[in-house]
Amino acid sequence: MNTTPDETTLARWLEDELEGDELAAIEAWVSGHPEHLAERERVRKWRAMISGAVPAAEEPPYPDFFNSRVAQAIKESTPQPAVATKTRAGWIKFLMPAAACAGMMLTFWLGTKTHSGPVEVDVTGAPKAIPVEPLVYTPEKGVEAECFSSSKASATVIVLNGVDAIPDETDFSGSTTMRGLREKDKTAAIQMDNEEGAIR
Amino acid sequence: MMNNSIPEPSKAEREPASSVVPGVSSDGPDDDLQLVARAQQGDSRSYDLLVTRHRARIFSMIRNMIHQEADAWDLSQEVFIKAWNALPRFEAKARFSTWLYRITHNVVYDWTRKSRIESAGELNDEIFDRERIDSSSSTTPAGGESPDETLALGELRTKISAALAKLSPEHREVVLFKDVQGLAYKEIAEVMECSIGTVMSRLYYARQKLQTMLKNEYDSR
Repeated sequence: MNTTPDETTLARWLEDELEGDELAAIEAWVSGHPEHLAERERVRKWRAMISGAVPAAEEPPYPDFFNSRVAQAIKESTPQPAVATKTRAGWIKFLMPAAACAGMMLTFWLGTKTHSGPVEVDVTGAPKAIPVEPLVYTPEKGVEAECFSSSKASATVIVLNGVDAIPDETDFSGSTTMRGLREKDKTAAIQMDNEEGAIR
Repeated sequence: MMNNSIPEPSKAEREPASSVVPGVSSDGPDDDLQLVARAQQGDSRSYDLLVTRHRARIFSMIRNMIHQEADAWDLSQEVFIKAWNALPRFEAKARFSTWLYRITHNVVYDWTRKSRIESAGELNDEIFDRERIDSSSSTTPAGGESPDETLALGELRTKISAALAKLSPEHREVVLFKDVQGLAYKEIAEVMECSIGTVMSRLYYARQKLQTMLKNEYDSR
């Protein structure tokens, strides 16, 4: 080779990528250019240092588990054969109207074979409904309960006698009952608004 | 993430299994294509052999790119799962290994991009630059491998890894592909989706930076 090789070919020669005629041609040219030979030696020395210290291949930890995890993921990601499902679905879809008609006819036929008149049932021996007073249960001893119910008011009041007074510091703010009461109590709502206004 | 309850590997399962496949006796690129052809027909056993053949190089490449073993394990898995899904489109115009490196490149860059987004505003990586750390500080972050790993991998490897970590991902990747994995310029260009001229330029500047950082080690050889 008498002409200067292009930059890419020279770079590939420096990296020992060339073979055959291409290599022979550039070797002939480089023999007259010792600076390139020296450069190639530097590149070879560098590559030897890096490749000698940093392995190109390192088995991952637990290589067998690695493979099984890949296989499992592939298995899970692979869609089930859709053809068989589709065929089966089409078959069922085709038979559904016929099955519905057959079911209706069978029901009609069974209806004609059963009693034609109304069914008479003897209820003379059946127990009669007895009004039951509400039972109020108080788990704590010494506490009595009285229950007042008014259907007109749609309300039931239970009065507990003997229960200790509830301390003033008891906080009911987190209870559902109190939240409901506060929402319904217009006065409380006004007070809350006032409090919020005072805060602002 | 990698499961902590991973069972110990058995020695038999570590052995390369290529010899048990009829018609496949070596580990060359041609045999890769035979296995690929079988895998494309749904033969999961052949694909398992391809995973066994290439997992070490893929894992090493990713580990050297991101310097995190557990994430490298997961990302290597992702590479092989994506490769399986894309296998019907593999036309054997390139080597199977080059095609895998291409997927590896994409997986690592996606991971890097996500990591940057997730860590945005949370952590400034520059604080790990040892030159910026006050030598009188009571605690200093560990910037390299653990002591055990340092002993195992060797002092030179540790220094090279630390120097590689300071390069940009593009420069780091081109050095790993060229100087560690031994890919040709053309293959690197295909993997990184750029021109051969860009690969040459990146490799030149990456080596310049590394040789500056590793001057003592390089000169002593």
